[in-house]
Order: sequence, then structure tokens, then C-alpha cells
Amino acid sequence: MKAFEVNPEGVSSAELVVGIPSYNEAPAIATPTTQADKGLSKFFPDRKSVIVNCDNNSPDGTRQAFLDTPTKHPKIYVSTPDGVTGKGNNLRNLFEKAVELSAKAVIVVDADIKSITPQWVRNLGEPLFEDSAYVTPLYVRHKYDRLVNNVIVYPLTRALYGRRVRQPIGGEYGFSGDLARTFLQSDAWTKDVGEFGIDVWMTSLAMLSRVPVIQSFMGSSKIHRVKDPESDPGPVFRCVIATMFDLMCRHQDFWKEVKWSRPTRVFGFGSEVTVPPAVMVDLEALWQRFLSGTGSRWDLYREILQEQTSGKLQEVASLPKEGFEFPTVLWARVLYDFSWAYRNQVVPPDDLFEALVPLYFARALSFVIETEAMNNQQVEEIIEDQCLQFEKTKPYLLERWFSA
Amino acid sequence: MTLVREIAEKWEAAVAKILIVDDEEGIRMLYSMELRDDGYEVITLPDGRGLLDVVDSEQPDCIVLDIKMREYDGLDLLQQIRKRHYDLPVILNSAYSSFKVDLKAVAADYYVVKSSDLTELKEKLRVALEARIPRD
Repeated sequence: MKAFEVNPEGVSSAELVVGIPSYNEAPAIATPTTQADKGLSKFFPDRKSVIVNCDNNSPDGTRQAFLDTPTKHPKIYVSTPDGVTGKGNNLRNLFEKAVELSAKAVIVVDADIKSITPQWVRNLGEPLFEDSAYVTPLYVRHKYDRLVNNVIVYPLTRALYGRRVRQPIGGEYGFSGDLARTFLQSDAWTKDVGEFGIDVWMTSLAMLSRVPVIQSFMGSSKIHRVKDPESDPGPVFRCVIATMFDLMCRHQDFWKEVKWSRPTRVFGFGSEVTVPPAVMVDLEALWQRFLSGTGSRWDLYREILQEQTSGKLQEVASLPKEGFEFPTVLWARVLYDFSWAYRNQVVPPDDLFEALVPLYFARALSFVIETEAMNNQQVEEIIEDQCLQFEKTKPYLLERWFSA
Repeated sequence: MTLVREIAEKWEAAVAKILIVDDEEGIRMLYSMELRDDGYEVITLPDGRGLLDVVDSEQPDCIVLDIKMREYDGLDLLQQIRKRHYDLPVILNSAYSSFKVDLKAVAADYYVVKSSDLTELKEKLRVALEARIPRD
């Protein structure tokens, strides 16, 4: 994949690699680069380290902004070929580079992250030099930041693979050099993974590989560019869901044996917890997008959903906005039915994902109404309960998926 | 579920060994009595002293761990258990619901607030013992 590389210091090996994937991040990339450099100096002074910007040949000058950022550690810039974009393709270049450098550990931080501290580098990297192979972040996020994670990705990955990883698509990770090789050699790479499905793909593969996974407490909130939950989820939503469904098809023998879920270990306590910035949600916009999106699709829903589930969904659609509720068990059944329909190609994939979007808006609306007056901790308890409902409802999926 | 499997699972649960770590003697007695009545084998510890050695020697199937014990912090003990026994089910059991907000509690399988009604604890025990992830 790699198209071209700038390696000013001719680095040919490194124990520890910090990767920063980017596309048009010229104004932002200095922050993670500087903090990564400080973290490497402070916490890994004896490790041979390098900072790698894996980019999509951004036209906005990201490469120069990265290379011009003063650092004590060497830097390498790698880019995908012209016209190839996607975070996944950038990370594929990072996997290749990490294997080429014989890295023992790889840390990934998003380029748009504003709240990164040197401590993050320690917390993502140190477990990899102990006995962990995959590290995900644990940080406080606003209850409506990344709603798609709270209402789909976390409960579904947990119910499927049995491992509780609270931020499976957090954006920051650590993984061993061996796991980088596993990622590179995986035959489950798809176009969606190459774009925005990469986060859930890596986390799912780590769980499927049965390597020790650990969640690392970052100590400060994630502050980054936040998209309004009601804005068009577009290609990101599609890539994430398609990747999850695709992995379900490939690894059914694994997840059919999983019952309930197990916690993961946690690393790094004692740091100060900051309050994340608020994410505002426009309830009316969610409501309107639910109504307009479902309006002409009832025939499609009847093809995808089991009869009883389809009937319940129609019941939900007839509720008024005030006090609107999309029950968790019904939501779990809807997602399980959609995954079955994807596997069986009941409708073309594009139609399937487009049909799921308005239902996602409805579930998001219900979640926001339910949690509006709650603090973050109370919301965590709601999410925990939601996950248990997904786990309890799993026999519904097993029955449909594996019935003749 | 087939009848054979149902019986097998009941049998599995019935012989499970539960380690109760709590500094209140009354709690240890109550839990021991109730869980033995349900067919579990129960061992107890009054605090965290020697906990890891007991876990190594007795190999319990699940630990019910108090959080506030005089000299010991159950959340710290949980971290020690997790380092040595990655997948051993641990249920935190506290009189205080406030410890739920402590991120260290995330490493536990479940968190149950103490009560004289053991219904929730028993339900979480059952689920924790049933949980499984395929191994190579």
C-alpha cells in the first residue's frame, strides 16, 4: 500500500512507534506530535522510538506541519497513493511500517485530539511491555459524544465477543508488534475497513485473537472535533456497521459459543479526571430524521425483521415525540435481524445500511430522552443495563442466524 | 436448551466453589449459609490477608469481594487478582453504591450492593459462572 515515505533520519528499526493517522490535519497535528514526543522522553527514555505520521497525502500541508514540529525523537512521514483516503488505509501503512521497523509496541493517537498529555503515551504503551497485546482507552466522554458507540458498537461487540471494552472505537490504541503483523496478514480486510471501519475491526480482531486486552485509564477527557449526533452519519456509520456485520459472518463459530461477557483489566489510575465538553443534541432533528427515513421503508423493514419485531417497531413509530421510547430489547432484536439480513443478502447492502440509519436516530432519540437529566455516571449504569439486555437477547440472534 | 445440558449446567453451578472476602462476620455467615443451601461450596476470608495465596491454593470459581475492609481496599485487591487471574469472576459487594463510580470497579464482573435479600447476588453469581469465551 505505502506510496511514498519521508524518513529524514533514515530510521531503520524502533522498539516503540507512535502513529498519528491524518487527513488534512495541518492546523492540528503539532499537538499530538509534541505531546507524543514529550511522553516518549519522559516515560520511555531508554526505548528506541519514532513518531510516524501516516497520511493520505493531504493537500493542506499536513506533511510539512508534521515534519516541521520540533521533536527530540525522529519522525517518519508515510502516505497512501494519491486518491486513496481513509483512516484504515493509513493504519495499514502503519502496520507495515511497524513490522518493517521490528517494533515491539505501537501506539496510535488521533490527529485531531486536543486533550492528549504525555501520560497518554505512557498509559497506552506501558502495558505492551508487560503482558498485554492490545490497549484501548478509558476516558470520560460526554454522554452524547459518539452515540453510535454507546447505542450500537459497545453493546454489540460485548454481546458478540464476550469482552467488555468500553471504547472499542475510541481512536487511541496500543498494540504489540506481533498484533500489527496479525492485522497485516488478516484476510478480513475490506474497503470499509480501509476507510472508517478500522477501529472496530482492530478491536474485534484483538478480541477474536484471544490476546490479553487491557483498558487504560487516560486521566483526562477526550477533547476533539465532535460531530453532532443528528448530523448525517454518512460513510462513517456505514463503514462501522458493515465491518461489524462482515466480521460476524466470518467469525460465527467464535461468537456462537460466547455467553454473557467478561471484564477486561484496567491500567493507570490516580490521575485527575476532567469534565468533558458538552455535546448538544437536537431532539427535533433526530425525530424528523426518524420519521422521514422510515416513512417509505416499511416494506423493506418487513423483509429484514422478524414479524413480531417489525410489528413492535411499527408500534414504536406510532408513539408521540414527547415520552418517545425505543425499548432496548427491541433495538437489540432490530440489530440482530439486520445482521442476519446482511449475511443472507436479503436486500442490497446500501439499502440495508440506509434503512438502519433512521432507526439509529430513533434509538439515539430514545437514549437522549431517557438520560437527559442524568450525570455521566448514571448514564454509564443505563449503558451497562443496555449491554445486559443485548446479552440476554442473544439467543434471538442465535436462533435466527443458525436456523436452517 | 436440551434437558441434558440444563442438568449439566445446574450440576456445574452446584459444585462451584465461592470465596467470600468480607470483614463482617455476620455477612460471611449469612452468605455461607444461603449459598451452601443453594449447593455451592463456600470458603471465607475475613480480609485481604493472604488472599492471593488462598486463590492459588483453593482455586475458587468466583470471588465475592467486599470493598471497605479495615486495612484492605477491595478495589486494590481486585487489581491484584486481575493481574494473576485474568478471567477469574469477581463480584464486588459493598454496602455503598458510591464505589460504582470508581473506574477501578470496571475490572469486576459485577457490582452488587449489600442486602439481606441475596436474590441479586445469586443472579449475578449464576451469570458470572455461566459466562464463557472460547479458548484455543
